[in-house]
Amino acid sequence: MTDALLELRGIDKHFPGVRALKDAQFDVRRGEVHALIGENGAGKSTLIKIIAGVYQPDKGEIRLDGGRVEFSNPRESHSAGIATIYQELGLYPELSVAENIFMGHAPKTKRLGFQTIDWEAMERGAEALLADLNIDNLDVGAKVGALNVGNRQRVEIAKALSLDAQILIMDEPTAALTESDVEQLFSIVRLLRERGVSIIYISHRLNEVFELADRVTVLRDGEYIGTQAVPETSEAELISMMVGRTIENLFPKQAAAIGDVVLEARNLHRPPLTRDISFSVRAGEIVGLAGLVGSGRSETAQVIFGVLPAESGEIRINGEAVKITRPSEAVEYGIGYVPEDRGHQGLIREMTIRENTSMAVLETVSNRSFISRAKERALANGAIRQLSIRATGPDQVTNKLSGGNQQKVVVSKWLASKPSLLIMDEPTRGIDVGAKAEIHRLMSRLAAEDGLAILMISSELPEILAMSDRILVMREGRLVGEFTREEATQEMIAHAMMSEEARQAAGASQ
Amino acid sequence: MQSETTKPRNPTVREKLRHLLISQEGVLFLIMLASVLFLATRTDKFLTVDNLLQQGRFMAEVGLIAIPMTYIIITGGIDLSVGSILGLTAIVLGWTWQELGFPLELAIITGIISGTVAGFVNGLFIVRVGVPPLIMTLATLALYRGLAEGISEARSARGYPEWFFQLGQGELLGIPTQLWLLIIAVIIFAILLARTRLGRALYAIGNNETGARFSGLTVNRHLLFIYTFSGFMSAVAGYIFVSRVSTTRSDMGTGIELDVIAAVVLGGTSIFGGTGSIPGTIIGVVLIQLLKNGLVLTGVTSDATIVVIGSVLIFAILVNNFIQRKRDEG
Repeated sequence: MTDALLELRGIDKHFPGVRALKDAQFDVRRGEVHALIGENGAGKSTLIKIIAGVYQPDKGEIRLDGGRVEFSNPRESHSAGIATIYQELGLYPELSVAENIFMGHAPKTKRLGFQTIDWEAMERGAEALLADLNIDNLDVGAKVGALNVGNRQRVEIAKALSLDAQILIMDEPTAALTESDVEQLFSIVRLLRERGVSIIYISHRLNEVFELADRVTVLRDGEYIGTQAVPETSEAELISMMVGRTIENLFPKQAAAIGDVVLEARNLHRPPLTRDISFSVRAGEIVGLAGLVGSGRSETAQVIFGVLPAESGEIRINGEAVKITRPSEAVEYGIGYVPEDRGHQGLIREMTIRENTSMAVLETVSNRSFISRAKERALANGAIRQLSIRATGPDQVTNKLSGGNQQKVVVSKWLASKPSLLIMDEPTRGIDVGAKAEIHRLMSRLAAEDGLAILMISSELPEILAMSDRILVMREGRLVGEFTREEATQEMIAHAMMSEEARQAAGASQ
Repeated sequence: MQSETTKPRNPTVREKLRHLLISQEGVLFLIMLASVLFLATRTDKFLTVDNLLQQGRFMAEVGLIAIPMTYIIITGGIDLSVGSILGLTAIVLGWTWQELGFPLELAIITGIISGTVAGFVNGLFIVRVGVPPLIMTLATLALYRGLAEGISEARSARGYPEWFFQLGQGELLGIPTQLWLLIIAVIIFAILLARTRLGRALYAIGNNETGARFSGLTVNRHLLFIYTFSGFMSAVAGYIFVSRVSTTRSDMGTGIELDVIAAVVLGGTSIFGGTGSIPGTIIGVVLIQLLKNGLVLTGVTSDATIVVIGSVLIFAILVNNFIQRKRDEG
């Protein structure tokens, strides 16, 4: 392959106890979008960090423009024209857009004999860079902290371009974006491709691969599986390459016997995002809660869980009216909550699997006040087996786990508490396709076999439609629709989610 | 799991020993040992049973307050008001006895209750009003000291009966009374932190308060408890202080919070919360006290002593950082 701009061959990388990459290969041509996919833990992050100079390979070679290169730190990779846009953005929230873009290479001028930053040139430069990306609604003087995620990402892209990046690595760029931001990101990516910039695009979402990429490379367990031209492959083929087997059913929903009402919410009120909400969830039932970002789904879940206690209204658990003013009370009433923000709310990332799985049931793993390590370890080992968590053992720090496995630890924490109601807020966001199917299978089994009542919040309509027995829709803090599994369609739910104005606008354009 | 993973197995004695030696506490212990040996070669007055026991007497107050301070710093908080609470307790004790005519036993109890309430008030504002611990206790550092000065009106109480001095000046089986108290407290609270639900909750809060709350831990109750506990231990230290020096003055314990925090941080507790231990803290307390004493005995001036202690603190932290980084890299 002589037309490759960047080429990696025979890359090996070990970490203590883990072989992250074995004989991996990858190449990018000039002006192509090359998607890199694989399950969590497949080695995608390690590979891009090697390209970015964060890690050095144990073995193998990297060629840039035909010549062999070695990046011993990120700076060297930068100056070779490679820029990375990570999931956690590396911007300074207190500084302006222009300052962020030119961080480290601000235009200088001489004033009174001193070298100072040429603020005007910087602002003009920033404006030019943004205009180049067809971004015209961003004030270069605004503080980055005040921007939404989509705009911050655009700043990051502009920053990469200000360094004349030839190769742009994007790690899960759409994970935190809203629909319209995703659209805008895609058009920026296409624009860059036309200009000859090569893009390495990492994503869990296969539809993005098909929409955007020219070629796709699959990694599995640190090994190179194959590279396909996107027009010549199919979703099913990529999935089987990723997981090493065929997944027959992404949404395995078992029919469950629906039992008595477990949770009944009556006129729950805590403005602005929970207004007069009434609904119920029965044993064995999975109730899907749909709505746009900011419609109050998570807030309503947190009212029930006691994080944001209700100002008025009533919560009944198994027919009994209860008062929940803090999470510890919700836990006592048999409610578990798998939160949206896994790393911040769901896990204590610095602590081990053992310590996380027992967090909500410390009493049951203790003799009097003393925690029994043996009981804890047994609990954690049970969870690792039951949920097939990939880890070195119960004493592994959860920080080191992949997203899907972290989520399984959060779920196992709540299963340990033997809840009668489990609230799952975006249970599969940012999780690879294999782990996703596992979590769906687990949810389905818990409802069908153990009679668990599940309230599932999701922004993914296919997930809502496939997994729910009943679907609730929220908009602007209110419950605006309820559909049975049989009657619900994607259009009906999407329509209910939209605001009046959006509906009128949509109606007018038709 | 298809990638190679290390199989868990039981560590050998040798590995355990190695693990202990490169732990934060292990490193600190070696530094302490080296300092003691060095000081012992400089003067023969240092490494004697009498001198070391005498030092045990002096370190009891700092040591007792360092226990709750370790708990608090593990949760990511801080308590700057401990010295003022110590002073307030001393004054309340002396004042209620001498001016209000309380029986001395009741005066002691009143003093300790005042200190505990002072800690409780800190906790209440931190938990209920959401005042950051640094700000809250900085305010009460001034407030409690001012209260003590107002009550005492610059008079000191003295002339306590003989039995009152047992705790601060007496001995039990040849060991200073307050050192017994410190040893017992250290054992109990070290176990409490390392082995119980309370300890686990404190580490969880320090690592991620939101995560702890979302797991159903009663975060507020725990925080309220540790600040109250801090007030209580500072009050006990105040009682010991008065008993040791035989008099009551309103400036007692001024600046002790810095000695306490230095010992806790030297002992490996992260100022950002989440890690730390009582054994580490106690080694920190002992190290600082022995350095102070040993350097004075070898004829170093007190100004220079402070410089040396500061340098040792920085050195210990550098060595620790270096070793932890090596360990993380495997």
